[in-house]
Amino acid sequence: MTVIDILFRVDEICKKYDKYDPEKQREANAFLDDAFARLYSLVEADIEKALAVRFLFSYPFLLLFSFQTLIFQINYWNKMQKSDKVSTEKNRAAAVALSAEIRRIKARLMEEVPKLQKLAKKKVKGLSKEDHETRFDMVLALPDRIKAIPDGSTAASNQSGGWGTSSSNKKIKFDSSEERFGSDFYQQTEESDQFRQEYEMRKMKQDEGLDVISEGLDTLKNIALDMNEEIDRQVPLMDEIETKVDKTTSDIRKNNVRLKKTITQIRSSRNFCIDIILLCIILGIAFYLYNALK
Amino acid sequence: MSGSDPGKLISKADNLTTLSLTRWSADWESATRLYEQAANGFRVSKDYEKAKLAFEKASKGREMLSSPWDAAKSMESAAALAKELRNWTEVIDFYRKASELYMQCDRPQFASDSLAKAARAVEDALPSDAIKLYSDACVLLEDDRKEQMALDLYHAVTNIYVKLEKYTDAVAFLLKLGLAADKCNATNSQCKAYLSAVIVYLYAHDLKQAEKCYNDCSQIDAFLRSDQNRFAGKLLSAYKEGDVEEIKRVAQSRSITNLDSVIIKLARKLPTGDVAAFKTNAAIGEEEALDENDLK
Repeated sequence: MTVIDILFRVDEICKKYDKYDPEKQREANAFLDDAFARLYSLVEADIEKALAVRFLFSYPFLLLFSFQTLIFQINYWNKMQKSDKVSTEKNRAAAVALSAEIRRIKARLMEEVPKLQKLAKKKVKGLSKEDHETRFDMVLALPDRIKAIPDGSTAASNQSGGWGTSSSNKKIKFDSSEERFGSDFYQQTEESDQFRQEYEMRKMKQDEGLDVISEGLDTLKNIALDMNEEIDRQVPLMDEIETKVDKTTSDIRKNNVRLKKTITQIRSSRNFCIDIILLCIILGIAFYLYNALK
Repeated sequence: MSGSDPGKLISKADNLTTLSLTRWSADWESATRLYEQAANGFRVSKDYEKAKLAFEKASKGREMLSSPWDAAKSMESAAALAKELRNWTEVIDFYRKASELYMQCDRPQFASDSLAKAARAVEDALPSDAIKLYSDACVLLEDDRKEQMALDLYHAVTNIYVKLEKYTDAVAFLLKLGLAADKCNATNSQCKAYLSAVIVYLYAHDLKQAEKCYNDCSQIDAFLRSDQNRFAGKLLSAYKEGDVEEIKRVAQSRSITNLDSVIIKLARKLPTGDVAAFKTNAAIGEEEALDENDLK
């Protein structure tokens, strides 16, 4: 356990056993007769508490300690070691809740201030004139003190710079304070001049390149459109060709079939036998003639 | 019989076809065959006159044999030979005959094709006849609802008119081109046609007509949405301001190079005449308007 943990533990324990503290009781009793003093002390206590809570914002683990038990805090430590990012998220949510709480407290305190003022004006026995006036001054100072309690996210900016701008600054200024911009501010240095020139040159080159590209694209577009039209023109011609070719193929098929039939008829076995017999007869006659002539 | 003399073949064929006491009916079939052989022989020996005659006779023979297709083909060959001989009237006659024969075969495309060939052959020598032939060819195609084929023919007619410096006629044909393109949804050709029309008017130095033409064409959606429309607008505004440099610059841009070569030549020559005159006319017009208001 760190020192700060110990301190807070001690504080908690003391608060718990405050009722046994004789000095504090005496202080509390002293205010019993004086309504103003009592109310004022309550307001003061609230302010201190609010400020303390604000103070706690800057230490995330303190925050958790003040709101949760020790066991949960140990768990949280473990978790935080695993992923810091998650813890900041939790803190932010908790921080947002706390700031809302503080704003509520502030509003309540502002309501109490007029009551205090009335009480301060009342005459209280056993109080000197100077004390009376100081009381009045304290009451006057109260609103400022209350307002001074920061309830925006300004304290959290210590934790993570990313939260940045304070929400309380609502004025937007243009051309603010002349003295910040001296005459040197608008002076072009050599470097910036060169840079500007280079930038201009590059822009020009890019423009030229883009012009060339656009010309090429124009040509391509024109070619593509012409091709489109030409193809459209060819489509009906192709359809015609298709029908004609279909007709021709069917004609050829028909003819092939007929041809095949004719050939098979010619080569049929009956005709073949007749051919052989006739051939034999002719050979026989030729042989006979040959013999006769010999 | 390829070896025998084509002249002999011709005479033989003639004998077959002439009717006499010994011959009661002409034998067109063999005669036609002989004629064709003779014609080929003559063509090979570069005797174009005789070849042409032979083809003519062959075509007549085919006609007698009631095959108009072959007759037309022979006629076309005859016409091609006549072109070689630069006998333009004969060329025109033969091609017309061929196209009629094609129409008999119910093939209007081929008919218009032969008329177009005729026109192309004679366009240098007899431009007006060429124009007539082209228009007839276009009519044939449009009747057959094949406007797409006609687009090239319209371009050719426009070119002839521009050569003859008859700019209003050229524009008329360009608009007909646009109409034909519209029928077959050839939007690119259509827009190019309208742009070419505007350019031709500007070349003829007739700003009012050009503007009227542009306004008419702007009524058409396809043209309105196109690049050509923007370009035409730029050109006309440059003319109205009388800015010669601007006109030259606009005319050099890409849209022009996509058009027909003849139109490109015209565009490159813009502006013709005094552009400042347009500017002053416009200024005078404004002043007059002011005066009228003052009087009121």
